[in-house]
Amino acid sequence: MKRRTFIQGLAAFGAIAALPLPLSRALAANIANPVSVNELPKLEGELTLYLGRGEGGLYENVLQAIQDRNPNFKLGIRRGPTAALANTIVAEAKAGVRRADLFWAVDSGAIGLVSDAGLAQPIPNDLSAQLQPQFRYKDWAPVTGRVRTIPYNTSRLSKEQIPTSIMDIADSDLSIGWAPAYASFQSFVTAMRILEGDDKTAKWLKKIKKRAKTYAGELGVVMAVERGEVDIGFANHYYTLRLKSGKPDAKLDLAFTQQDAGCLVNASGILALNDDPLATHFMRYLLSIEVQGYLAREAYEIPLVNGVPLPEGLPSLANISPPKVDLTQLADLRPTIALMRNSGVL
Amino acid sequence: MKAVFKSATTLGVSLLLMSTFVAQPVLANGPIGEHVNHLQANIKDYSEEVEWMIGKVDTMVSDYESKGAKAVKSDDLIEYWESVKFHSAIETNYVPVYASIWQGIYGVKMAIDNNKPAAEARKQQAAINAALWQGLGAVKLAAQFQQKGLLANVKATATAGMTQSATIDEIKHKLDRVVAKYAERLSDEATSIVHDTYLHLFEGVEGTLIEQDAKLVEVLEKDFNVTLPKAIADNKSVDEVRDVINDMHTKLDRAKVLLEKAEKARKDVF
Repeated sequence: MKRRTFIQGLAAFGAIAALPLPLSRALAANIANPVSVNELPKLEGELTLYLGRGEGGLYENVLQAIQDRNPNFKLGIRRGPTAALANTIVAEAKAGVRRADLFWAVDSGAIGLVSDAGLAQPIPNDLSAQLQPQFRYKDWAPVTGRVRTIPYNTSRLSKEQIPTSIMDIADSDLSIGWAPAYASFQSFVTAMRILEGDDKTAKWLKKIKKRAKTYAGELGVVMAVERGEVDIGFANHYYTLRLKSGKPDAKLDLAFTQQDAGCLVNASGILALNDDPLATHFMRYLLSIEVQGYLAREAYEIPLVNGVPLPEGLPSLANISPPKVDLTQLADLRPTIALMRNSGVL
Repeated sequence: MKAVFKSATTLGVSLLLMSTFVAQPVLANGPIGEHVNHLQANIKDYSEEVEWMIGKVDTMVSDYESKGAKAVKSDDLIEYWESVKFHSAIETNYVPVYASIWQGIYGVKMAIDNNKPAAEARKQQAAINAALWQGLGAVKLAAQFQQKGLLANVKATATAGMTQSATIDEIKHKLDRVVAKYAERLSDEATSIVHDTYLHLFEGVEGTLIEQDAKLVEVLEKDFNVTLPKAIADNKSVDEVRDVINDMHTKLDRAKVLLEKAEKARKDVF
């Protein structure tokens, strides 16, 4: 065994040992060892990938690296907003054509749209076995994760002052920054609808709206928290990590709610639209140790296979207890948008 | 004409950058004709259109000068401009000049509609003329690049992958379009471009950028979400909106340098 693999194995073991139930039990379940790209078959042939835009070029770097490594493999790429590409795939299928072999989406909701239309091919068992159990789906593979967080200003608050229930935050006296027009926020509200129901979610939105300051994006939310414009915010984890990377003395830290939508772990994902083994082999590259490590290191995304270190600055998974939500259920945003409009949020 | 080629080098570089990185969408005021992909074959038409347009504006200002506002229909200026093929040739190749042409057209129109002295209309007319000649020069230069295969065909959808630093060029181009649309009096469209550029382009690079210079991201966030939309909403002059965007360009140039540095420092995937 190489020393690096051994150390990674130790790190993974340590993280699992520290996890609370039920997540620790889930992670300790039968997970296949992560695969190095050196163990994967060479790709030969042509595929067309529909790529939902995300992470400002880092996904592109991954795709280019896969092509560079496989000189007899040609990848055609169509790029666009994730939701638009999902709709295109469904529309193309209705018209009796299939132009894409693969769909890599930045959020699982768009994946759900294609999966619900019955267009996604089953995932081989050995491939999904590499993923942590709560991220195994029959016809798509999550690639990397992101967790909803509560960034807070450390000069105004201590972590203990922040409720550990997302619903209780609505009844606190904390000032809040949010970006309700933001896709990630809307997925979070969808998860809340699924977990708490529409009535409770509508009441929560209305209460929060009274004390919330609105920003265009979630990096804006995090920066506002750091400036002290608001006490806390609602945002994906990587904005805070990146800001702290660029500004190490930032008065900013992350808090997490427990087992509710406030700490939802969402994921980017990939699915195959045909049963060509080449498409499946391509997916294996995205779950390789090297790609997972690259996206964790450069994009601060959460690796979903074992043995790959978490992004720098993200607390141990032992502190995170996400709710159990079928991520493909986040596909239909329409009821969420309607609820947010009726609540005066949008 | 001397002024047209004064900054030919800068313009050439800009055109080259645009051809490399910008996949141009369908533009306002109706579909773009295929002629924009055959600039050289249409240069004669464009030149005639520029002279025709200059003549039409001169006739209108002269009529206004001698007979007053009731003798002219200032809305015709817009129809004249939208009727010429040259309109989309310049819009697809050099947006800053395109904005200046619209600014001049509305300058003449507002002078007439507000019964300003004829001298004011003449001043605005001179601005249109200068912008039209400069635009023709830009299109001629673009035609040369196109002949050499250095100018990409105009496409309806953006499909090319971009590096993060190239995304900055695209953002700057979109901001130039904001000035153009604002100069066309299409404020809602201008604001919409600002929001889309922020959400679909700037958001994609600010994560990397904030690791390089958090303060720079903070000021650009404010520019995108407060300063620029507010300038448009407050009906500031085209020049004032252009000033905001020029200031953003300077900051974006700095961002590009930082992103290039980050790209070079990034470890390989495999």
